[in-house]
Amino acid sequence: MSEIVLNAQGIIKTFTNGEEETQVLKGIDLVLPKGRMIALQGVSGSGKSTLLNILGLLMKPTSGKLTLLDQPLSGRSDAILSRYRNQHLGFVFQYHNLLPDFTALENVAFPAAAPAGRLKRDIRERSHMLLDRVGLSDRKDFLATRLSGGQKQRVAIARALINSPNLVLADEPTGNLDSKSSDQVMRLLKEINRADQTTFLISTHDERVAGFCEERILIEDGRITMTGSQ
Amino acid sequence: MLFLSKVAFRYLTSNFMQTALLISGVALSVLVFVFITALINGLALYLTAEVTSKIAHVELEPPNTVARILTDNDRFVAAPVSTFRRKQVRNWQQVLQLAEDMPGVTIVSPSIDGSAFLARGEAVLPVAIQGVLPDKVDAMADLSSNLIEGNADLSAGGLLVGVELAEELNLKVGGPVLMRSERGAERLVPITGIFKSGVSSLDRRTAYISIGAARPLFDLPNGVTKISIKLADPDTARAVAKALQDATGLKATPWQEKNKTLEEATDAQGRTGLFIQSFAMIAIIISISSALLLSSYRRRAEIGIMRAVGISRSFVAAVFVLQGIFIGGIAALLGAGLGYQLCVILASFQDADGRASLPIAPSEGGYFLVITLTIIGAAVAAVLPARAAASVDPVDAIQQ
Repeated sequence: MSEIVLNAQGIIKTFTNGEEETQVLKGIDLVLPKGRMIALQGVSGSGKSTLLNILGLLMKPTSGKLTLLDQPLSGRSDAILSRYRNQHLGFVFQYHNLLPDFTALENVAFPAAAPAGRLKRDIRERSHMLLDRVGLSDRKDFLATRLSGGQKQRVAIARALINSPNLVLADEPTGNLDSKSSDQVMRLLKEINRADQTTFLISTHDERVAGFCEERILIEDGRITMTGSQ
Repeated sequence: MLFLSKVAFRYLTSNFMQTALLISGVALSVLVFVFITALINGLALYLTAEVTSKIAHVELEPPNTVARILTDNDRFVAAPVSTFRRKQVRNWQQVLQLAEDMPGVTIVSPSIDGSAFLARGEAVLPVAIQGVLPDKVDAMADLSSNLIEGNADLSAGGLLVGVELAEELNLKVGGPVLMRSERGAERLVPITGIFKSGVSSLDRRTAYISIGAARPLFDLPNGVTKISIKLADPDTARAVAKALQDATGLKATPWQEKNKTLEEATDAQGRTGLFIQSFAMIAIIISISSALLLSSYRRRAEIGIMRAVGISRSFVAAVFVLQGIFIGGIAALLGAGLGYQLCVILASFQDADGRASLPIAPSEGGYFLVITLTIIGAAVAAVLPARAAASVDPVDAIQQ
């Protein structure tokens, strides 16, 4: 049996606006094994982003249990959840990916350098290696603002990998890219998935993107309605 | 370099113009603080120096005699004070030696002080006579430098008078004046010199004579009525007076006791300055706080990314506090440096008579205080923006 990276059981999320309550997630059970690349699909408003935020420890569920590497996360403080995010999770977002005042290398190094207190040589070397891996070693000293959309997303992928995470959560990682850049990014994610056995959960509307993944999860109206391999 | 410092510094330099304007504003407040402090302290020093340069810093006199209560079996009897005993310091040479040996004492001058009338023709005016050692005529007030006529040599038994007194009695150097002391003794004395100190009480109602000439006039063959002391630092007068009083049993009066108005005036000035300094500090805190608060809102998305990748709230907060400290530190040094330069320039302006136009003291700008207060104030000012930044919800920020 493959190692379980993240296990979510009975996840319910209800948003309250005044007296109006909206249940966005209605009991999600989900297991993410190590080394898988999974597409999370669903229409807008189906609950994809909310689920991704909860699985990424950015949002607390109204009820339900969440374990990361067999560690229960219910009731953990914000500081501990931040540390878990930093050490075990990687994120790739559609927008606002990079810190504009920092170079590509500094952006990659940021999640490791900030907790360490300084940009140590090993962090710098690993950042350089990751930039090389995403094909941007010649852009390492470029400010983020000087990079193209595809380059920014590749830097974001390198940043997501800096602390060797067990799980990378990507929310529409190619949503802002043309098809050529989109394919490049997805091939890169696939390559990393195979080489490092890093688990990827990729939220997407795009069938081409989902086609790179070996499994699909369909979420509809706050419930998982279909899972399957391809 | 600490990564935290690098992030804070990068945020400050990324918007150079905004940071430069903010630092300029804070530096201007620091400059105002320095200028006001140097001006108020300079004025206090100037007034104190003006006063203390012309008076004794500590005066030793015989203690006031008071009626003693004696008990006589079951009743109280008040022993009357003798009105026949002259108030004088008989062992003044010993006291002189003791005072001269005391640290911080620069000049000790014994004197016989008394009241007299100066008469010339029909005009008669009351004056305060100071009988001093001829070689210590300049001990308390620099009369020699302020002479407008004659000389300050009292060894021949002459009289040194102020310019206003001379004008009222039409006294001329070398001319005689009749002096009638409070003890009834009369003598015709020549005018040795006429001085103009600028202090009305001296110029109008004080005359100097040698201590030898004063003895028969005031019927004091051996003692003196007062011992005047100058100190290297007039501010130590209270402590020195207490030490001398304890050591000699004489009544010791520091100059501050006789110049309460000056002390109250300089205190009032200090309080006024404190208000202006406080407003400068408030301006510093408000400007830094508002600028960093705006920055924290403008960078919400970036803060959201940081929080999402697991950067702690404390790191985010520290970035903003450190920005405040950087701004405060740079602006404090800049403002203090420019403030000092401004004070030096203003202190160099002189009136036609060679005196400084503004009584400003560049060395008294409170530089350490203002730098420390500005850095602390800047750190405090950054707390609110830091809290705002640290409380950014990464989900909200990223979805914006």
